[in-house]
Amino acid sequence: MLEVAGLRSGYGRLEILRGASLRLPAGSIVGLIGPNGAGKSTLLKTIFGYLRPFAGAITLEGRSLVGLRPDQIMQLGVGFVAQAGGLFADMTVHENLLVGGYSLGSRGELRAALEDVYARFPLFRERRQQPAASLSGGEQRALALARALVIRPRVLLLDEPSAALAPRFIEEVYETIRALNRSGIALLIVEQNVEMILSVAHRVFVLDLGRNAFDGTPAELRGSDRIRRLYLGEGSRAGIPA
Amino acid sequence: MSGARFRSLRRLVLCAGGVVVALLPALAPHPFVLSLATQAVIWALLASSWDLLSGYTGQISFGHAGFFALGAYTAAGMAKHLGLSPWLGLLLGTGGAALVGVGVGFPALRLRGHYLALVTLALAELIRLSAQNWLSVTGGPFGMYDFGTFPGLPAGAVARAQATYLLVVAVVAGAVAVMLYVCRRTRAGQAFRAIREDEVLAESLGINTTVYKLLAFALSSGFAGLAGGLYAFYIQLVSPTVASAATTSLVIGMAVFGGLGTIWGPALGALLLFAVNEALRFVGVVYNLVAVGLTIMVFVIFLPRGLAGLALRRQRLTVRRDALRAEEDAEPGQPEQVTGATPSAEDPRSTA
Amino acid sequence: MVLGGLYALFAVGLTLIFGVLDVINVAHGEFFAVGGYLVFAALVLLHLPPAAGVAVAGLGAFLLGLAVYPLLIGPLKRRLGRRPAGSLYLVLTLGLSTFLQSSLLAVAGGEYVRVPPLVSGILEIGSTGVSHQRLLVVTVAALLLAGLFAFLRWHREGLAVRAVAQNPEAAQAMGISLTRIFVLTLGLGAGLAGVGGALMAPLFNVYPAVGFPLTIKAFAITILGGMGNLVGALLASLIIGVAESLVVMAIPSQWQNGVAFVVMIIVLLLRPQGLLGRATSR
Repeated sequence: MLEVAGLRSGYGRLEILRGASLRLPAGSIVGLIGPNGAGKSTLLKTIFGYLRPFAGAITLEGRSLVGLRPDQIMQLGVGFVAQAGGLFADMTVHENLLVGGYSLGSRGELRAALEDVYARFPLFRERRQQPAASLSGGEQRALALARALVIRPRVLLLDEPSAALAPRFIEEVYETIRALNRSGIALLIVEQNVEMILSVAHRVFVLDLGRNAFDGTPAELRGSDRIRRLYLGEGSRAGIPA
Repeated sequence: MSGARFRSLRRLVLCAGGVVVALLPALAPHPFVLSLATQAVIWALLASSWDLLSGYTGQISFGHAGFFALGAYTAAGMAKHLGLSPWLGLLLGTGGAALVGVGVGFPALRLRGHYLALVTLALAELIRLSAQNWLSVTGGPFGMYDFGTFPGLPAGAVARAQATYLLVVAVVAGAVAVMLYVCRRTRAGQAFRAIREDEVLAESLGINTTVYKLLAFALSSGFAGLAGGLYAFYIQLVSPTVASAATTSLVIGMAVFGGLGTIWGPALGALLLFAVNEALRFVGVVYNLVAVGLTIMVFVIFLPRGLAGLALRRQRLTVRRDALRAEEDAEPGQPEQVTGATPSAEDPRSTA
Repeated sequence: MVLGGLYALFAVGLTLIFGVLDVINVAHGEFFAVGGYLVFAALVLLHLPPAAGVAVAGLGAFLLGLAVYPLLIGPLKRRLGRRPAGSLYLVLTLGLSTFLQSSLLAVAGGEYVRVPPLVSGILEIGSTGVSHQRLLVVTVAALLLAGLFAFLRWHREGLAVRAVAQNPEAAQAMGISLTRIFVLTLGLGAGLAGVGGALMAPLFNVYPAVGFPLTIKAFAITILGGMGNLVGALLASLIIGVAESLVVMAIPSQWQNGVAFVVMIIVLLLRPQGLLGRATSR
């Protein structure tokens, strides 16, 4: 569904991605892991149009995304949840969701979409008027997800959904991710928390120094001693290499 | 053209320019031309002084007209009210402006970017208000006149104009030379550049940003005051309009035109822009400011490094080409160097 | 009170622009001046009724503001890419200010332009009389500002404006076109200033540089209220307006303008984030 091939990208003249590729089949969950600075977030941001690639191809169901702005890519049914959520802190829960539905045509559509989201996240129905900044970390992350779902995307790009969350909240977030996938959404998830992503993904790509280092099913990754040592934090190289 | 050869070509051009400037009294012994040239040179000093603080050290001042006015009023006032010699007046004007500059610098230490610009703008306005309303000292809206001029000038219009011109050029050239020396060859200059690039990093490297920022303020405002004093004795009239926003605008326009962060760029820009300004006066006094505004806008967008940038761009292009070649030679799989030129001292907007 | 209302129209627009675009519009005063000249043209040259005159002024300033982003700020933004802008936007708007002011000078001349009152008559309150003109200023200002706040609070586009002000990247992810919001914001800010100019024209003389002292004062006001905070700007406008009126009784009126500057300097030294701003600067 979403294909990235030979992508080179970066900031200004600083090249971070040096030819990365991946595929996200429809309805699947694909994980993207790798050491810090490998370019995982950069890849996600480039796909969504925040960065313009130096070279390479990005296609969504055959249609090229290169050169499109984020608000245009979003109209094609792609949602993006930034690291740390990117909520509108001075707005209420309800207002955040309203903005999520900005692109919907009619008020009827907007109302129906919001209803669906509240149905999926009943917690927010009670907290509608609460300022978003007053929610707990886990609730904020869930709100960011909920906001991205208002437009019923077919693809969701998540940048470190578990970052800075307590373990209990991480579980909840990933439960939601599983549920979303069951309802047909394809998810591309960048993660530092390797264990969690291995538990949900159908396929995982490993990025190192801006290039693909490995890709396979979670089982294949776990099965390879080398990968376990280098990227899964076991063995002599404990922790993620800088 | 390689970088080194280009540098020497540029030096040649600058020397040629310097010769023309020095010989102007002989080349064009006409009081009117010399008068314009003298004013242009004073503006060059003002523009360079602004650049020292704002372009080179990154402390944006929107109120340099204020320091200019301080220097002018102090010099004139000392001569008129206290009967001091103009040289002493000049010195006091410079010193006074420098002191105020340091005074402004203290609170400025805590302010960033636009806050600093706004405060300096307000300060200049306060100075202008004072000039306008403090009748006993400043002569109010009509200003001060009748305070004499440089002593020891020859009689006769042409000779006088020539002598004045040479005098002013000598002082200004000296001042600009001092600024260039400080910026290029002393540790202070290094500190200034470091502060502009990344203040936090500079602090962590052990650079005492406080001292150097205050030094930049002192130098910059002092030289602006010197320009003001020269202006006062040259024009022999000081009025509140010297502290107006139009003055600041003109100065910034000259600096942007010539090239921020280079010291010599704004001086050059001032000379050229002043010439254009005066030429346009024949069309109508009003239109020259319109042109200044247009110039600022166009240059900020398309030529942010000004004329100096045009000169430097070739140098940067060659460096970049060499860097790219080095990258291609590197084997695939090796961690590659960051591409692009390393920030040079004359590039006020190097990428982060 | 009149001053407060006027300052509010002006400062709120300026704050809006800063909050959304992160650009300080040094040329804001020129939108005010344009409004003054437009109302003059409408009333004296075209003999339109006062209401139409004000509308023309506001609309004209609005259109002028719309042009600023596509012509100036947008191109600079594109050329900068991700590089830090430093003082460049400031210098750019300074250039715009110079350009507009001297263009007005070129087109309209430097003499004061007198605009007749939009409404005549005096309202007696106790022992003092307040001219209807002044009441009009306060009323219209209040209505416009209320309208603006309502727009931002409830209208879909107003919500989008707030979103862009708080988090431009997230706003993009919601399908909001940043360019459109930037253009709209500049237009709104300019339009407010233009209406202010039109309303004030009968009370003060109109001349090309009339906007400048107001601009500096507006900077002081926005700093006092907290940069980027609309309610803060509103409050600070009223405070400064009242303060100036009170201070005039104690010191000579020429120094009246200095009040705002002194306030600004004090605020920056003691509490840089202003009354309602957050502690971390943007």
